[in-house]
Amino acid sequence: MGESGSSGRANVALHPDDRHEEHAHSAIPYVVVWIALLAFTALTYLTGKQHLGAWALFIALAIACLKSALVALIFMHLKDSSGMTRLVFGTSLVFVGILLFFTVADVATRFRPATPAGAPFGTERSRPEGLLEHEMPE
Amino acid sequence: MSPEAASLPEGILAHHFASLERQNEAMRLGMWLFLATEILLFAGLFTGYSVYRFEFPLAFAECSRHLSLTAGTVNTIVLITSSFTVALSIHFARTDQRRAAVVCLALTILLALGFLGIKAIEYTAHFREHALPGKYYAFEEVKIPGAAMFYTLYFMMTGLHGLHVVAGMSVLTWLLWRTNQGRYSSRYYTGLELGGLYWHLVDLVWIFLYPLLYLI
Amino acid sequence: MRLSEDDSHALAGAPAAPTYLEDGTTVMSWLNTRDHKRVGVMFLVSVILFFFLGGLFALLIRFKLLQPGPFFLDALGYNRMFTLHGVVMIFLFLIPSIPSAFGNFVLPLMLGARDVAFPRLNLFSYYLYLAGAVLAILAMIQGGADTGWTFYTPYSSTTATQVLPVLLGVFILGFSSILTGLNFIVTVHTLRAPGLSWMRLPLFVWGIYGTSIIQVLATPVIGITVLIVAVERVGGFGLFDPARGGDPVLFQHMFWFYSHPAVYIMVLPGMGVISETVAAFSRKNPFGYKAIAMSSLGIAFVGFFTWGHHMFVAGQSTFNAGAFGILSMFVGVFTAIKVFNWVGTMYRGAISFKTPFAYICGFLYFIVFGGMTGVALATTSLDIHWHDTYFVVAHFHFIMVGASVMAFLAALHYWFPKMFGRMYPEGWGLVAASLIILGFNATFIPQFLLGNFGMPRRYYQYPEHFQALNVASTAGATLLGFGFLIILIYMTIALRYGQRSEANPWGSKGFEWLTASPPPTHNFDEIPTITQMPHDYRTHEPPGVIRVA
Repeated sequence: MGESGSSGRANVALHPDDRHEEHAHSAIPYVVVWIALLAFTALTYLTGKQHLGAWALFIALAIACLKSALVALIFMHLKDSSGMTRLVFGTSLVFVGILLFFTVADVATRFRPATPAGAPFGTERSRPEGLLEHEMPE
Repeated sequence: MSPEAASLPEGILAHHFASLERQNEAMRLGMWLFLATEILLFAGLFTGYSVYRFEFPLAFAECSRHLSLTAGTVNTIVLITSSFTVALSIHFARTDQRRAAVVCLALTILLALGFLGIKAIEYTAHFREHALPGKYYAFEEVKIPGAAMFYTLYFMMTGLHGLHVVAGMSVLTWLLWRTNQGRYSSRYYTGLELGGLYWHLVDLVWIFLYPLLYLI
Repeated sequence: MRLSEDDSHALAGAPAAPTYLEDGTTVMSWLNTRDHKRVGVMFLVSVILFFFLGGLFALLIRFKLLQPGPFFLDALGYNRMFTLHGVVMIFLFLIPSIPSAFGNFVLPLMLGARDVAFPRLNLFSYYLYLAGAVLAILAMIQGGADTGWTFYTPYSSTTATQVLPVLLGVFILGFSSILTGLNFIVTVHTLRAPGLSWMRLPLFVWGIYGTSIIQVLATPVIGITVLIVAVERVGGFGLFDPARGGDPVLFQHMFWFYSHPAVYIMVLPGMGVISETVAAFSRKNPFGYKAIAMSSLGIAFVGFFTWGHHMFVAGQSTFNAGAFGILSMFVGVFTAIKVFNWVGTMYRGAISFKTPFAYICGFLYFIVFGGMTGVALATTSLDIHWHDTYFVVAHFHFIMVGASVMAFLAALHYWFPKMFGRMYPEGWGLVAASLIILGFNATFIPQFLLGNFGMPRRYYQYPEHFQALNVASTAGATLLGFGFLIILIYMTIALRYGQRSEANPWGSKGFEWLTASPPPTHNFDEIPTITQMPHDYRTHEPPGVIRVA
């Protein structure tokens, strides 16, 4: 073949992961993260059982995001990865956000009185006996 | 052939890559792109979930209470631990501790089996109670509009996730065999790393499924 | 070092290493190939086959529409025709066409690479394509689906026609598309030749790169969507069925989240081809290289924000309709940037009016009118009138056929000598191009008028006073069909009996012309080091010589 070295980062020793090879790669971060994940699981279990109303979803998702960040950054080595892989992961999340945003925004902003009668949803947001938001027992 | 490539098992460095480092970079990028597609695949179901939870908040909360919180929580612990063991196996492979790597991979697969086992028990309970998706829904305890929709989403989301657990287990089993053969070491462990990445994705999806299904 | 000695032998006509076509002549050597060029050729043959199948369905539709009342097809048969026409043209032709056929062949050459990043995955992409195609054909043999290619629920989850195999075929084809896109992204990131920085990438590569981003991010969503509909058909799950609490508009959101970016998958590679050929046939540097390159990324990203403009009358909220309407306006800006730059490239260039240039002219005219009618349709208040009429049909055919197919034909003629080492007959090329451009106008301009007058799309029957325009449209379609047939004939003959071409018959400065035509299996004897901008016609070397280190 005989081609010249690849442009940029040609020196193998400078590869990000090789930083670990210089001092023995440690398993301690993995143990720490594992314990943290278990702790966060306990936290979400406990807060979940509290039934905190409107805040419940936000708290649950926030904890889930924290757990995911730990798994992605440490277990999946995103912390040490090239910018491109981080961009790929981040971009996929952004687009999930776009899909979710416009779809939920649609159902959240529909003009309910115009929904055809008899639809199982979309008249008032479905509740037994047609209760409104502020009349809900919870 | 570059000196590093010469010391590798046969056929690791493909002819069209300038260096092993480049090839590793390509493999990682390729796997992350594939994970991005998996994230968007599940996103479709999460979108359906979001819309119908918004429309049927009471039904979703009620049905959630009828899922086995114990099973869900244990499964979460099982998957988190399996993520831990697969990360450990990669650590052991890259520090040339082959036996430990093999043991950790075997543990991961066992934990995955445990996950599936618990899910099977849950599914059996649902079948017994007729808490089933769509037109098969006949769950006596929750009869409000939207209850069937919860179970439709529950089965589709955990079903798709379960399929990925099975796929992940197959990949890990194959990697276990190759690790045992000594294919992965401090010189080259990218294949194992890629399998681990896939398994972590399976864990990531469940990290969101757990609160959204079991803790409404 | 300029060209390697081996390459200059190729220029003189004496082959050095065997070309990729000669390197293994058994069927197995093709079926089991790792060579991106062979994968590209297999895709090319397949997509052309399906183009003609989809075209046949189109002619059958147009034949029926000669008469306003029941004629030639019954209503169900008619519904099947337009469904299959859409499914075949979109999923089996347009989506894979330029990327999988020409992208596969040319991308590694343009990067100075020996192959794509994952050659076996590339072959697997092709087999997935075949598998999806087989499922679609099986469905067709059993009568096909009658839902339209858009599979709107709850009709698609309840109709008795063969929707299930079509859905599964689409699912598998989606993965073929995803894997191709993934492969290309990694290739561009990791297999660039020394000296080939991002801002020296050929413009076709930018187009393919943007396309690949869309393929990777959008296709999974239609994957899960068709899977859900398939499960609904089989299991009665009712995620989109109002009778079970489902929302049909949710299906449309999920469907169009992919299908709108999909139209950019269909047109962006074509834009990349036009960028390449405009520079080559104007013998001039691209007017605004950075603008063209960045606008490819712009289309890729902004295209994701606009899907709700397909749903203005579907029942989504006014907030959404407004938001999508405004966002849809933005995406047109990037196309405008490109058109401006292409015209700027041609201005004061040394135009070589060969067949690819004829298609460039067609492309520019069609994309301007197709694009402008698209912006008009994005105006919510106007769309209320035009939605689901022939106005929309004409608009997207202007882009899909007028732009994408013109670009495909430009690519076919431009890269034919590169791929097969022979030239097509130039005279016939211009004849066919003229027939196609003429026939296209005759087919689709009447459809703009019909749509504006109120003729709905996908209707089996129409009011009598629309007949004249329908007959005109059918006549145009026949002319169009003849044009394509002529190309098929002379290209097939040229494969065997065409004049042998030199390594760079166009005098193009594209990097793919650095190697022999057809190239050897390993592409380059020595990987070039790139030291100049792509499409650089300011240099004083004679045509066909590209300066490398």
